[in-house]
Amino acid sequence: MNIIVCVKEVLNPEIPSDKFRIDTEAKRAIPPEGIPPIINPYDERAVELAIRVKEKYGGKIMVLTAAVNASVSVVKHALSMGADDGVILVDQAFEGSDGFGTAHILAQAIKKIGNYDLILCGREAADWDEGLVGPIIAENLSLPLVTLVKEIDVMEKGLKVKRVTLDAYQVFSVPLPAVITVSQEVGRPRLPSGWGIISAARKQLPVWNAQDINVDFSQIGISAARRKLVKLFIPKRERKCEIVQGETPAEAAVKLADRLRDIGAI
Amino acid sequence: MSISYQGVLVCGEIVDGKMNTVTRELLNIGRKLCDELNQSLSILVIDSSNQEIANEAIALGSDKVYIVITPHFTEFHPDVYTAIMAKVSQQIAPSIILFGHTDLGRDVAPRLAAKLRTTVVMDCTHLTIDAETAKLYQTKPVYGGNAMAVWASESFQPQIVTLRPRSVIPAEPLPSRKGEILTINIDINESRMESKLLETVKEVVKGIKLEEAKVIIAGGGGVGGSEGFKLLEELAKVLGGTIAVTRVPCDEGWMPLSLEIGQTGHIVKPKLYFAIGISGALQHMAGCSGSKWIVAVNKDPEAHIFKEADFGVIGDYRNVLQQFIDECRALGK
Amino acid sequence: MKIWEIEIKSMNPTLEKFWNIPGVIILYILFIIAFVLFAYRILRLYSFLSLGGKENRLDHLGRRTKLFLGWVLGEWCTLRSITQKDWAGIGHFIMFWTFVLFFVNYAYFFVWGAWHPSNPPLAEASSFSSIFYSVLDFSTLLSIGAVIWALARRYIVRPRRLETNFEPAVILILIFFLMVTHLLGEALKTTLFHETSSNVIRLAFASFFHGLNQSTKLAYYYTAWWIHILILLGFLVYVPYSKHLHIIAALFNVFFRSLLPRGALASINIETAERLGVEKIEEFNWKQLLDLYACAECGRCQASCPAYLSGKSLSPQELIKSLKIHLLEKGRSKKEPTLQLIGERVTEEKVWDCLTCYACQEVCPVCNEHIDKLMDLRRSLVMTKNRIPETTERALRMLMMRGDPWAGTQHLRNDWTKGLEIKKLSKKNDVDILYWVGCTGALDDRSMSITLSFAKLMKQAGLNFGILGAEEGCCGDPARRMGQELVFQTQVQRNIDMLKRYNVKKIVASCPHGYNTLKNEYPQFGGNFEVIHHTELLAELIKNGKLKPNKVVDKKLTYHDPCYLGRYGGIYQAPRDILFSIPKLQFVELNRNKKDSFCCGGGGGHMWLEENIGKRINVIRTEDVAEAKADIVVTACPFCLLMFEDGIKKKHLQGYIEVMDISELLERVI
Repeated sequence: MNIIVCVKEVLNPEIPSDKFRIDTEAKRAIPPEGIPPIINPYDERAVELAIRVKEKYGGKIMVLTAAVNASVSVVKHALSMGADDGVILVDQAFEGSDGFGTAHILAQAIKKIGNYDLILCGREAADWDEGLVGPIIAENLSLPLVTLVKEIDVMEKGLKVKRVTLDAYQVFSVPLPAVITVSQEVGRPRLPSGWGIISAARKQLPVWNAQDINVDFSQIGISAARRKLVKLFIPKRERKCEIVQGETPAEAAVKLADRLRDIGAI
Repeated sequence: MSISYQGVLVCGEIVDGKMNTVTRELLNIGRKLCDELNQSLSILVIDSSNQEIANEAIALGSDKVYIVITPHFTEFHPDVYTAIMAKVSQQIAPSIILFGHTDLGRDVAPRLAAKLRTTVVMDCTHLTIDAETAKLYQTKPVYGGNAMAVWASESFQPQIVTLRPRSVIPAEPLPSRKGEILTINIDINESRMESKLLETVKEVVKGIKLEEAKVIIAGGGGVGGSEGFKLLEELAKVLGGTIAVTRVPCDEGWMPLSLEIGQTGHIVKPKLYFAIGISGALQHMAGCSGSKWIVAVNKDPEAHIFKEADFGVIGDYRNVLQQFIDECRALGK
Repeated sequence: MKIWEIEIKSMNPTLEKFWNIPGVIILYILFIIAFVLFAYRILRLYSFLSLGGKENRLDHLGRRTKLFLGWVLGEWCTLRSITQKDWAGIGHFIMFWTFVLFFVNYAYFFVWGAWHPSNPPLAEASSFSSIFYSVLDFSTLLSIGAVIWALARRYIVRPRRLETNFEPAVILILIFFLMVTHLLGEALKTTLFHETSSNVIRLAFASFFHGLNQSTKLAYYYTAWWIHILILLGFLVYVPYSKHLHIIAALFNVFFRSLLPRGALASINIETAERLGVEKIEEFNWKQLLDLYACAECGRCQASCPAYLSGKSLSPQELIKSLKIHLLEKGRSKKEPTLQLIGERVTEEKVWDCLTCYACQEVCPVCNEHIDKLMDLRRSLVMTKNRIPETTERALRMLMMRGDPWAGTQHLRNDWTKGLEIKKLSKKNDVDILYWVGCTGALDDRSMSITLSFAKLMKQAGLNFGILGAEEGCCGDPARRMGQELVFQTQVQRNIDMLKRYNVKKIVASCPHGYNTLKNEYPQFGGNFEVIHHTELLAELIKNGKLKPNKVVDKKLTYHDPCYLGRYGGIYQAPRDILFSIPKLQFVELNRNKKDSFCCGGGGGHMWLEENIGKRINVIRTEDVAEAKADIVVTACPFCLLMFEDGIKKKHLQGYIEVMDISELLERVI
């Protein structure tokens, strides 16, 4: 079972909301001081799911990431969790690529790798919150796709997967090769193990550029972006909280009930 | 030959023989956009010979209702929707295609965009036509809700959008409205239907559905365990509402996922929303920020929820809620 | 004369014939048997030891010898506990020296005395042997008293730390009879052969036998003598099978004790490591295994261990004993022991119970090192088996991803500097000292006031200091104490590179954990900086008059010695100097203070571990404060501060007891 997992580096989503800043001119978020970017939490869960499949059914896991600046640490993180190999895709030409561009780059790299059974992606990235890349890779490579998966079982022919829905879940059977996007219901991703960290640190990762993977330059970069970012802003918080006080919690509770009754809420 | 793209097409979702709430919301925003652009609003529903749905769609603003008959229809299979939407879009050539940001929309919209070689913006909360450029401006939350991004398509058509549920309220149906009902036969290439839907499991929700509830009592990590939710259920009963959860109780296994409210769960818009033991992370607020009134109970005075709520009580919910319930009962009499 | 058909000729029982065999031959045969059994056992034990890994403890031989002499010959090992009102050291001193004197006596006897008739020099009080025997007999008498005291104390008074099973009783009773037979025998010898003697003890004992005739006395003499020899040789065989193995093992253990600074855990060389942590008993090194032999089962460690005293499952004494059982089982059969080392012999819970407070090692008379064994087990749990409690995992994950373990903090590292003008370190290197703020001091709401107070005090004193600001990352202590050595080393390397880049020479830290790691553990990786704790700096500033406490505090103060500052850092006086400089100070010491201080419950990674069993450790310590009737407990560690805040809340003593860091207090009185 050869698995490829696509991972992305994002700003740490767990910074306190009050500390979030954007550069309205450049239309991008300002990385908060002292807090390094991390692997997209959904992608981390994709790695986790890949490792579970490997533990149960055997195989190898290859991790890919594409960026303008090499984000080695996300791949090393995946390796230290238990992935086997990684490739870093770096090229200035990637700058400004939208979801379609990124998917194209990753698809080309996947084509170059060649030997794969399953492609996993996180359901969306924790910065732009869209979830485009996974499905578009599936379209580009003409592969079957199941999104929002939380569980994978390998059957005789293909996979049986559980897809998360609002009501509960659906069960799909998928032939291989296929693309699967992974949802957070997979559970907590494992902490890198001691030996994982050591072997990840020792590993040398190949770096490929746009030419290495035969990218179609008309499909990447800012010139190929299908939409433009008009504005990026921080929304104003409209609500002002009225703290209902009381000598005891019980008293506060009574006051709250009265207050809500006054405004017609209850 | 350049195609002239016209009108707004809504991808309708039918659940249990009825139009999904999000579809009604899409019709509202679709109607508004069409009025501004002076174009027509269409809706596509798959394999529903139910005349009532078509009439409802028209009453809610649709000019045309396309009923697609296909021999391969399996309820909610994204592959089917993708194929059908692709074919219909090519036929109708709408300039805007609207999906709800649901399990279905999340799956189909990007693929459709790739197939049609066009643009897509996901999880939008606002759609406006820019007065100057006549372009569709699509506003969506990013960075977990910390910021808002406004996108506009360069020149790609159709513009595909998924709309966050509850961003818009459904309009009042006008039975006097007139519209066309058209039936299309679509034959889909089965060779692309490689994944098969084997089973759909739905957790039976006792009582009121979250999307329809007027009062929601939501519990987070601060509830401390499944036992604590009994108190929340009592409050829900007294106020005629229902309970919900954030991600933490689901991860811990205290409550089922089907009750989760948040960016990747249910989006709700009740009149009154209680956030009990909830820190106020933006991914959760995305699911409930449409509420009219938010009341927070948390023992941490620094919790972010107090910046998102209208009313707050600082204290352990176990000490606060029982008295609150009793007082509500007393006021009710 | 004839006793049991024996002809008595001389006063030396070995020169007689028993059943036609010369006594000396019998003696030697008995001795050889005993010695062979003894040696066999010792060699077996040694072979088990050599299952363990390599470890070089032959450094600093001079220093080792000096320590050894004081510890062993001066019996400092047990006399130190007198500070804890544990008087056992006196009895132990007596018995130890009695045994040394006996050893000299037997050595002489076996080599020379057994073959030759004794000269009667006892009549000449000035001769060496006469003095020697006087001292020996006096010592023996004292020993008898000590043994009776020990028996009464252990089995009647029953202090908590002493076990009341049969083994100590057997040993004590054997010693008792050893001593008694010696004195009786010698007394009888005196009456039989030397009517005059200046040895008063012998004469006193001899008075018991006044009425008896010569033959009876001789019979008693020979009986006493041979019983004495048999007990002695029996003891020789018994020692390596009992806890009295410590007689031999502790000597080596004390000599080979760790000379590393206390707060420095052993490092793992990532390049060459074949394993991470310890999973099997033979993966400990030989010195760690020697500890198991050296343990005298005195119970002092257990009686000081906050985990044990608060009802957790860990007992340091029981840990050592069970590891010894495990080692013996492993050594005896070539197969794996029946129980797994981690999980069964030592449960995972016990591995996590340790707070690394050092109380056990502080009081251990044989220099055992309990902490590093638990840490080695913890390392293999976390790094090899990936078994880690959930809250700890979350903190570790935060540390790896974000550089601090405080998940859920609403602050960034620079938030505390708002409104103050604090210099950030730059390439220009224009500061005298770096203030290492620490994760807790920067990101925790309550601890931030420590940072603010200390920074303000330094500014007031005109100190030219700087901070690393947002660039500061965790010192690494939580990672190492949680057992994640790799994350620790990554952090350390990153920090050392940064500190070297800024050409930092001197660092002051307000957190004892950061202080300890920077000072004692960073040198393991090439980071050598001059590191002081903020109490040392503040004490010096007061001494130099740069800060003048002049306001009175109208409340009773007490001081809690943080483990990592006190026992680890040896800093007890500096904080007290600061307090005593406050005018009209009302001060009371806690009952367990200085090196006997009781842990607050926050060390060893426990800030991020849930405490679900037994009594909460911080509550116990808060009760100490309440018992001392203090209004304010002053401390010098942010973990202690947070633990006390929680303890005060749990005991509903808000408004009655307040906790402050020493810098917060000082700011108030300047």
